[in-house]
Amino acid sequence: MRSLIAKYAEKLHRDRSVVPGRVGIAAQDDVMLCEGAPDLSRLAADVLSRLSCLGIVAASPSLPFASYLLRRANADAKSIVPLDTETRTFLHDIPIVRREELGGDPAYAIAALLSNRKGVIAEGVGIVASGPVTLEQAYIHYSSVYHAAFVKYLLDALRDGFVLPGEEEAFREFRETSLQPLSAEGLSFRAGPLDDPEEVLAEIRAVGRYTVERGLVDSFFGNISWRVGGTIFISQTAASLDGLAGCIDPVPMDNRSTTGITASSELLAHRRIYEATGARAILHGHPKFSVAMSMLCEEKDCPVKDCWKDCPNVRMLGDIPVVAGEIGAGGLAVRVPPVIGGPGKAIVYGHGVFSIGRTGFEEAFRSMVDVENRCREEYFRRLDARARRQSKSE
Amino acid sequence: MSLRQYILVVDLASGRMRREEIPPELLRAYLGGRGLGVRLLRDRHTFSPFDPAMPVIFAVGPLCGTPAPTSARLSVVSRSPLTGTVYDCSAGGRFAWRLRAAGLFAIRVEGKSTRPVVLAVTSAGEELLPADGLWGKSVGETVRALSDRGSVAAIGPAGENGVLYSNIMMGEGNAVGRGGLGAVLGAKNPKAVTVDGDRPVPVADRERFDRARADVLRLFRASPVIFGELGISEYGTPALVDLMRQRRMAPTENFRRTVFDGSPAYSGPAIRAAYGAKKEGCFGCPIRCKKRASDGRALPEYETVSHFGALNGIADLHAIVRSNDACNDLGMDTISAAATLSAWGEARGRFPSPEEIGPLLHDIALRRGEGELLAEGSRRVAETLGKPELSMSVKSLELPAYDPRGAYGMALAYATSNRGGCHLRAYPISHEILRKPVASDRFSFSGKARMIKIAEDANAAVDSLVACKFAFFGASLEEYAELLSGVTGEPHTPQGLKEIGERIWLTERSYNARNGFTRADDDLPARFFAEAGSGGEGIDVPPIDRARFVEELTKYYRIRGLRDDGSSPDDGFLERQP
Repeated sequence: MRSLIAKYAEKLHRDRSVVPGRVGIAAQDDVMLCEGAPDLSRLAADVLSRLSCLGIVAASPSLPFASYLLRRANADAKSIVPLDTETRTFLHDIPIVRREELGGDPAYAIAALLSNRKGVIAEGVGIVASGPVTLEQAYIHYSSVYHAAFVKYLLDALRDGFVLPGEEEAFREFRETSLQPLSAEGLSFRAGPLDDPEEVLAEIRAVGRYTVERGLVDSFFGNISWRVGGTIFISQTAASLDGLAGCIDPVPMDNRSTTGITASSELLAHRRIYEATGARAILHGHPKFSVAMSMLCEEKDCPVKDCWKDCPNVRMLGDIPVVAGEIGAGGLAVRVPPVIGGPGKAIVYGHGVFSIGRTGFEEAFRSMVDVENRCREEYFRRLDARARRQSKSE
Repeated sequence: MSLRQYILVVDLASGRMRREEIPPELLRAYLGGRGLGVRLLRDRHTFSPFDPAMPVIFAVGPLCGTPAPTSARLSVVSRSPLTGTVYDCSAGGRFAWRLRAAGLFAIRVEGKSTRPVVLAVTSAGEELLPADGLWGKSVGETVRALSDRGSVAAIGPAGENGVLYSNIMMGEGNAVGRGGLGAVLGAKNPKAVTVDGDRPVPVADRERFDRARADVLRLFRASPVIFGELGISEYGTPALVDLMRQRRMAPTENFRRTVFDGSPAYSGPAIRAAYGAKKEGCFGCPIRCKKRASDGRALPEYETVSHFGALNGIADLHAIVRSNDACNDLGMDTISAAATLSAWGEARGRFPSPEEIGPLLHDIALRRGEGELLAEGSRRVAETLGKPELSMSVKSLELPAYDPRGAYGMALAYATSNRGGCHLRAYPISHEILRKPVASDRFSFSGKARMIKIAEDANAAVDSLVACKFAFFGASLEEYAELLSGVTGEPHTPQGLKEIGERIWLTERSYNARNGFTRADDDLPARFFAEAGSGGEGIDVPPIDRARFVEELTKYYRIRGLRDDGSSPDDGFLERQP
């Protein structure tokens, strides 16, 4: 168990979602184990002792977005609702607890909220997340809250501007120094077509790792596949892109075997993309600016309410098509294949990017980098325009 | 929840029946289904399963009759004649919904009728009907004869003749299976129970309920196991055949091996191709994992095809389907029947052929010839033949089709299950194999004691709601607590549900302890610690490390608050519970 605690603490540092040294993790076997920053690990253990649960992660997020969301919320608000479809599906809403509500026993207040939800944003503490089944689950829930807060803050800031003291300066700092430049340069890709299963598996593992190492996606937010003849090699459901060893299923495209029941929930989308485009490789991930930009629709008086799943239109962000579609057995598998062939990339409303490689992963990877970079640029262009408008009106 | 819920108490000896209000504090503390049934056994849990005073309790859950997904299920609770443990089993179909719609939350059947009867329940009342003409009939014949009385729960010849793994069968083909509750009911002489209600079930907070329901359905759509193109909605539970073959944990030839080369013959795609399998589901279930052939017959589940297949070395799909048909019609559990035949086969040096199995199943149900012994289950068969080690069972309940050498949480869960060798209590296959809600390392014991304890508690709550385990390949207690809050208008949380589940689990453990069960009963057959499974294709399946298993079991007891010998330090636990 101690090795698992060390593993996920290291992962949180590596994916740059926590302030260095500000992580506390507790896990229960037959005894309570906790590691990390003393105050946070003690809090994690105190929370865990009140829950039927295997592990708790408590950490200070590396970016202050979750804290800003809490402070920007109405005084009577008890939670924030994620806007991206992935985290909204799995988290529903994220409880927020203010400093004064934490009282003299913060663990009590946080445990009460975690008795009903996967993660909580606590003022002055950060994000606290639970793992009812495994410690990895606590890590995933932390990462989900972090991701949800990031995307929601981007959208809220664009809509409402900066309203808190110091917020604008902090955002500028994020934009100018914290935001990692995205690039495929220096990475090594195998040229296709690859037919040897061992080589295919190695390439999928390597490219999955690149997506996380380059800061393109958070580790378990995405999936990846390669087609060899009538077989799709695809990452398994709930697998981390930077930990795919032993987590890739070979799935026959004609469904003569059901071994792929553990494959990614996006298997059907991958299969239909292969059928529609003849591609050899597919990369799917949730880069945050792409997710945020996909939800900015300027259609007026539109009758569609659940845009994320019901919008029938293909919108364009430059030459990148954006379509609606629910994950898994929803409409994503219907709407992405017809639009992805030409540009080689597509965004799903509130969900993320799909990109294809006609011969290998290099094209798919470069496409995803390109989509995210262009979405970043467009986001900041709009944010700057908003700031100019605001400054003129003042 | 409207806490005014009623139980029908039926005394078959006198023919008296009365509807009584269930104390609201019991519903708060035990929810319904398994929990309520277990609680209602408290004053008789040491009675023999065949004692006329031993009740058989049919109970629904608080979500039953609402549009809560997968919740129109029934629990039946009593004491098992096969295992001697407290025993519950849940079944789908339409019976539970119609029972609730008849104004009832539960039925408690006790006493013994002098002649065969049918208990018929409607919204207007209940009556006992003479059933001499139905005694000896198959389940199918019985259901057809009673088809104008709503939903039917019936026993077949196996239940009448006291086969220790006889089922109560639902008219739609679902089973109250495994532990022999068909024999417990049969000993009291009712051939069937019918229900046909028409009252709606209120939902206190419709908006909250609808939001939770939408959340559940989104999670179902996001789950490859449920709605994926290779998932159980498409292929039913036989979707697991290929996966268990690939993971090299398909029990083969009485667990001597873990890969069967003939398994593609009865995989999900093979069944679909051969029988034109169509989707069918329990009342209101969106998953619809049941599969029915184009000629209308219910097609077998994963455990059934695997145990009548690999476990007996049979690769003939049609023979397997015929075995399933026979068990359903005779009212007999497929897992225990196939596993008992397999243990018997290994003991005599030859597994039964496809042609032999059909006649043997009839002999078992009628307790004639070899069937007289085989009707007693694998433990008694193996002991009688002088080879007790060949019964692949825990607490006398035959192990289903997940080899414990391929998933160590499953190994621990088999051992700790209160009803014996059952996969559905902690159900670690969900995370060890199917990666839901997250993956865990199947070849490691690390952390498994805590995981099993938490899952046992959570699933005791699920069985008391009464929801289907398959829903939790997508959704979680978080959404089901919200559904419950919406139905009842009272706040519920996953943590609160797990605490209820813990109370239920400890109650069951206390009953078992008073019936003589000890740590020695929380163990696996020796084969799993001594013989390797069928490794290959990069997967090694070694014997389970016994020392590590024992260490984790001891941890489990500590986490449960038990002594290292598995006993409870708290003699007053039961008496302190509501």
